[in-house]
Amino acid sequence: MKNFFRKVAFGVGLHEEVPPEPLKWALDQLNHIPEFAWKGKIYSEKDLRKHYRDWVYGDRKVLRKKYKDNKVLYKTHKNILRHKTGQKFWESLEISIRHYEGIKSDYPVLAKLWMFWGNFFAISEKDFLANYSTGPYQREIIRPNLNQSFEKMVYDVTTSWAMIHHLDNSESAGPKSVTSRDEWRRRKKRPATINENHARELLELHTVSPKAGYSQEDVIQLAYIMTGWQHKWSKNNLETGNVWFNSEYHQPGNKKVLGKEYRRGKKTLAIVIRDLVNHPNSRDFVAERLCRYLISDEPTKEMKQPIVDAFKKSDGFIPEIHKAAIKVAFEYNDKYKKFQTPENWLIQVAKIADLNWPPSPDLMDKYELGQIPFNSQREPEWILQNIGHHPYRAKQPNGWSDHSDDWISPELLIRRLVYAKASYNFSKMEINKNTDYFENIVEKNFDNPSKIMKYINQKNRAVEKHTLLFNHPEFLKA
Amino acid sequence: MKISRRDFLKTTAVTSLYFAGFGGPSYASSGPKKNLVIIMLKGGMDGLCAIPVKGDKNFEKLRSKINLDRTLKLTTDFDLHPALKTFKSLWDENLSAAVHATNIPYTGRSHFDGQNLMESGGKIPYQEKTGWLGRGMKTAGLTGQGLALALPMPLLIRGVPMNNNYFPVGRSLPYPAILELIQKAYKEHDEKLLSDNLEIILTRDFNNRSRDDAWILASSAGTELSKPDGPKVAVFEVDGFDTHAAQGATDGAHADCLSDYDNIIRSLKSSMTKEAFDNTLVITLTEFGRTIKQNSSNGTEHGYGSAVLMAGGLVKKAQVHTDWPGLKKKELFEGRDLNSTIDARSIYASAMSKVFDVDFNRITKEVFWGEKLQNLSDKLFKS
Repeated sequence: MKNFFRKVAFGVGLHEEVPPEPLKWALDQLNHIPEFAWKGKIYSEKDLRKHYRDWVYGDRKVLRKKYKDNKVLYKTHKNILRHKTGQKFWESLEISIRHYEGIKSDYPVLAKLWMFWGNFFAISEKDFLANYSTGPYQREIIRPNLNQSFEKMVYDVTTSWAMIHHLDNSESAGPKSVTSRDEWRRRKKRPATINENHARELLELHTVSPKAGYSQEDVIQLAYIMTGWQHKWSKNNLETGNVWFNSEYHQPGNKKVLGKEYRRGKKTLAIVIRDLVNHPNSRDFVAERLCRYLISDEPTKEMKQPIVDAFKKSDGFIPEIHKAAIKVAFEYNDKYKKFQTPENWLIQVAKIADLNWPPSPDLMDKYELGQIPFNSQREPEWILQNIGHHPYRAKQPNGWSDHSDDWISPELLIRRLVYAKASYNFSKMEINKNTDYFENIVEKNFDNPSKIMKYINQKNRAVEKHTLLFNHPEFLKA
Repeated sequence: MKISRRDFLKTTAVTSLYFAGFGGPSYASSGPKKNLVIIMLKGGMDGLCAIPVKGDKNFEKLRSKINLDRTLKLTTDFDLHPALKTFKSLWDENLSAAVHATNIPYTGRSHFDGQNLMESGGKIPYQEKTGWLGRGMKTAGLTGQGLALALPMPLLIRGVPMNNNYFPVGRSLPYPAILELIQKAYKEHDEKLLSDNLEIILTRDFNNRSRDDAWILASSAGTELSKPDGPKVAVFEVDGFDTHAAQGATDGAHADCLSDYDNIIRSLKSSMTKEAFDNTLVITLTEFGRTIKQNSSNGTEHGYGSAVLMAGGLVKKAQVHTDWPGLKKKELFEGRDLNSTIDARSIYASAMSKVFDVDFNRITKEVFWGEKLQNLSDKLFKS
């Protein structure tokens, strides 16, 4: 039953008591959004977007022009700019804040669900989003919505700077919009057309899913509704301006999505999102994804039903959806063990073994803009990349897979073997020399401690015990 | 050839023997070892960017911002994107070819459903848990002869046990004694997939301390494929074909992706022995093509028909094989996309039949659920 603490969170830490009422312990974490446990500096999405702007602007315009005849100097100055804008630092800071929340906060269950939604509304690797924006997006757009409605979450995600940039909606122009008649379009041969990317993913990934059976025409019509939602473009800010509704890009006239008519205008986006999130397929899709994340590759109808019901009854209130999901996970805890994704696994290793992980707020606060970050400050980015599961660098907009088979291959297994061993370097030497260190952590996290102890005691050195424990088949699943 | 019921029964009987593990390692043909390499082009490869049609004024007009200002010459009807340099030099030696206006029978325009189907070979997204290549290997008895050059194991090759992959971690592994203890625990817990994977790690002779650059992966694959007892199947992935904005033309985002593909075939060619390359087929796979018309961000949207690129010594001759549907509005799929007149699965079934030495009908039966596919072996591949 102790796998429950890893299934819905990251296990029981060395200095924590095993919660006597596991279900209550989990459910109590879902009502409000606490401050971050991280007490180091946290930067706003907007501030980091300014660095994004400086990087892109400085790079593309100034440097390329200034050093157009000297490739070496161009490279040198590009590097200087890289550090001046913190390009190599921010994502490691963001991962640290994220992992800290799972390891040190009193709300690890909420943290695990935060990670779920970050991946549900994934920003995949594109341009410099991972460097400057995806972490802040998950902090400022996803997390505050964990005690709001699914409808509000979808709306905030859809109109966020990061998602608009990620899915090209700024590029979408109504063919009959005001801008379509602009003289420059004729001159530059750039007729106004829609970009379907964002509309398609809003249907497919963020709400009803393809099971709803929408047509290409639905995608086009939704894209028409979304025309005008874009970054405020200016010569200084390029594409890093705030999101606004530019009525000149908006396609006039009525539109029809999934059989319902919508009028033109700014407010229509909220209305169509309300209809999409209330479509039965959205409920089923959210339930399916939650069950797959927490419980099983193949969620059954019985598993999904309580979540669907809670969604319906609460009008998509996310804490109620979460509670239903956690209850289902508790109910099926012994029957289904879910293979843990690499990032989940790493956070569990760090928490259970009481590792010096992530880098401390003190260490991260030592970073100064313009300087090259220390290697120790860049480790989060490196390690997550190496285990094959960097949360801000999924390859595609559907995020990282939550199917077990996608996480099992010789090379992926090698990552667990190598990083179980390497993570020992983060252990606190004064602690794990204690003879009862392993007994303590095994006792807290396994139902059959003597069997696990027998297995790790086949080797004498602590690093070997550590490698064995965190590759034990019972640890790989929860 | 139409298979009779009698033949069909005979085939099934043989198959079940293989499934039960009584068969030999494969349909031993007396000739040299043959290899099949599949390169997945993810995001939707624009067949009309890779292999543009010549002299279609309407097409040029619809793509005024992304037309190629420089091309390589292929045939009287088709040109080649200049990024495909190796493909062109192979073409000149009759070692590369293409099938145009083709795709898997999927018209939904979703990447993720499309990618799932291009790998599973099925018609309902996420229904199949194995890939067409994996099932083909299983039919041919090719256990333990697949190599994926990727960190995860692609769905495409799942369905036959003991596939290997290579994507070096750049560090040393824990000592074998530790790994053996872990494997023992996997076995005790009936974790067969984990245990099989660890078995591969323990027995293979790969350099884990190397880097994961694309050319290192491709040349490692080339070396392995050249070994008589090495893998017979390899799978690559190239991402980034989803160019909704700034697709570029001669240079640019789509060109870079095509160039990634071209670099893989270049590294394969240079790392393989001549005999191995002569007995190899390298074929691409994508989820869909892209719209004929550029959008206002100088990109293209999700479409339908695309092209399949083929290279290697088993290619019959330099040709663009196609049943060209035309690009007039009424000839397009839903008025916007290049149509697909050849089910791309016919190409893959024919290729597996050819390289694995398995009867074509048996492939369609056991890999593609008996769907009616066209045997293109004689048209596309050396006999």
